[in-house]
Amino acid sequence: MWKYPWKYAEGIVICIGLFVTGAVLQFTIGPIVLEYLKYPLNLIFGIIYCVILVAFYFLSKHNKYIFWFSKSEAAITSIVSLLILVIIMGFTRQEVIMPIDGHPHKNIGDWNLGFHQMTRSWIFALLFLYFLNILGLATIRRLASFKWKDFTFAMNHLGLFIALLAGVLGSADMQRLRMQTQLGQPEWRATTDDGQMVELPIAIELQSFTIEQYPPKLLVISNETGEALPKKQPHNLLVEETPIKGKLLDWEIEVTEFLPMAASVITQDTVKYVNFETHGATSAVYVKAKKDEQVKEGWVSAGNHMFPHRALTLNDEFSVVMPEREPKKYASGVNVYVKDGEDIQTTIEVNKPLEVEGWKIYQLSYDEVMGRWSNISIFELVRDPWLPYVYLGIIMMLIGSVGLFLVAKRKDNK
Amino acid sequence: MTITWEHFIYFAIPSIILWALGAFFAYKKSGRVPSILLTILGLLVFFAFIAAFWQSLERPPLRTMGETRLWYSFFLPIAGLITYIRWRYPWILTFSTILATVFIFVNILKPEIHNKTLMPALQSPWFAPHVIVYMFSYAMLGAGALVSLYFLLFGRKQKIETKIMDLIDNFIYVGLAFLTIGMLFGALWAKEAWGHYWSWDPKETWAAATWMGYLVYVHYRNHKPLRYKNALCVVVFGFLLLQITWFGVNYLPSAQGLSIHTYSAE
Ligand code: HEM
Repeated sequence: MWKYPWKYAEGIVICIGLFVTGAVLQFTIGPIVLEYLKYPLNLIFGIIYCVILVAFYFLSKHNKYIFWFSKSEAAITSIVSLLILVIIMGFTRQEVIMPIDGHPHKNIGDWNLGFHQMTRSWIFALLFLYFLNILGLATIRRLASFKWKDFTFAMNHLGLFIALLAGVLGSADMQRLRMQTQLGQPEWRATTDDGQMVELPIAIELQSFTIEQYPPKLLVISNETGEALPKKQPHNLLVEETPIKGKLLDWEIEVTEFLPMAASVITQDTVKYVNFETHGATSAVYVKAKKDEQVKEGWVSAGNHMFPHRALTLNDEFSVVMPEREPKKYASGVNVYVKDGEDIQTTIEVNKPLEVEGWKIYQLSYDEVMGRWSNISIFELVRDPWLPYVYLGIIMMLIGSVGLFLVAKRKDNK
Repeated sequence: MTITWEHFIYFAIPSIILWALGAFFAYKKSGRVPSILLTILGLLVFFAFIAAFWQSLERPPLRTMGETRLWYSFFLPIAGLITYIRWRYPWILTFSTILATVFIFVNILKPEIHNKTLMPALQSPWFAPHVIVYMFSYAMLGAGALVSLYFLLFGRKQKIETKIMDLIDNFIYVGLAFLTIGMLFGALWAKEAWGHYWSWDPKETWAAATWMGYLVYVHYRNHKPLRYKNALCVVVFGFLLLQITWFGVNYLPSAQGLSIHTYSAE
């Protein structure tokens, strides 16, 4: 070993060496904090890193040991090492340890390797850096003598290199904030993950919040445990229209009436539901259940913050219930005020974020107790200035994938 | 009339029969054209079900395991057909038909009945391409894994030829290309839906592992093109990782309650 030419064995030993080094660093320093690597520090780091890589490329022309780091043996052993770590990560429950004042807990003296927070562990970081070096060197070497037949190679390798480098360097510049807005009140303050308040150059005023719901669903539950039945694959009946018939367990179910906006009214000996088309309404259906000679009927309602839910008891064992209706769409009508720009009036929905002043505003949540009557809407605001570079890498890899597909066909022709 | 899983069998059985006939003709001397036509006909029948089911669900049938198996059984014969047209292996259609049939029977015997509901995060134009591309890739990689396993088990009696390695290379290259596209589509979609393109959620972690597994194959084949057996082992191992990504994640203790991707495990 260690005699020229280096093969796989050397590659494996280098990776083990990095693993051990990482473990020592983990025990002595504790998990990695990337939060300090903010602009412009990350940009400077990135430039220095690329310069060093190019320098190593020139050195590698004269030094066969350095040259080895751009070869397949190095590439394969480094991919396999990282793969092993990713598999360990897949088997280990990853903890999100909230940083205290922006610092993650230091686990110095904790005799663990940091696998429960893999992306913050030194072992992962060192092996990842090593992997990136090899990817970078292999890419530079091929690009230095570029021919058109290397196009697919360039797209895949350079694309991955750019996406990974930009993703890592940009991670400290990424801001994710949470903003809670109340109907009619402009809000310009948001909070970070660790609870710090941030003032923004934009303000959001919630004008309306609406939830469109799926039709109600009926289930049979066990009175004792409250579990939906049958256990593995609960039956359900979606009340898309009335009247509708279906089967739950061995009961024939018929729904004769559906009030999407309902209120319960207590009469002398029972509870009934009436139309109630205003704020705070719940949904109710009238159910007739039949099994052999037994017949049960009555109102079933999901209930909400104003009205209790109501089940139809079939017998000692079972009841028919309506779980809370699932949201099909939730949307916030907003006015967005921009400090030195024009105001925007629009709606923000899940999967339809709003982009303004370098921020992307996502619909995140609402007051779940109030459900469709929530007068609160919660947004997530994300700023990720390095995103365009990550996307550049991703697009190059997409092109590279098409190339890979075509390469597969061409190989057969020779 | 609304199409449900109950009608599946009336489309699936004719499809299987058509595919089986197509596979049979592939062994005949001048059976190439009928073989191709029969397979396509089977695909059309099968797709008619998917289309009608999609229509009646009012959402793409991609949410549950059963629904993804539906696409899988659709793409396997397509993968087989492309391979047959391009490289003319007579046995490939038999192979894809048997695999597709297995998945069809799983769906007939254990249909996962679900209603129309689709949570807001999944209502995105990225949803269908992301999953469909992945399913096509899984079909290719699955085919590669089975051929590899066959030669690993019976390779001693039957010499592995360059031609076979070419076939496996093709499966894996095409599979990896689509796997990459599926993963990147997923990243772009995640940015639109959740605000970040990669968050090391358990399903993403395993998808990364799977992807790296196949990278090992591609680079190893490029470097040591004559070490067949090792390469075949990598293919089988890669497919094992893929199985964990596809449904194993739902059962892993390390992923319980964490994954944003386990929609079907209600
Ligand atoms: C997007 C992911 C990747 C794809 C699709 C890919 C694909 C390929 C392919 C098809 C080849 C065959 C040679 C050729 O095309 O001329 C190759 C070669 C190579 N790849 Fe990758 N690769 C990827 C990622 C990586 C990574 C992460 C590394 C390093 C850690 C790497 C290092 C290498 C090396 C060293 C070679 C040999 C180049 C040579 O000897 O000229 N690749 N890659």
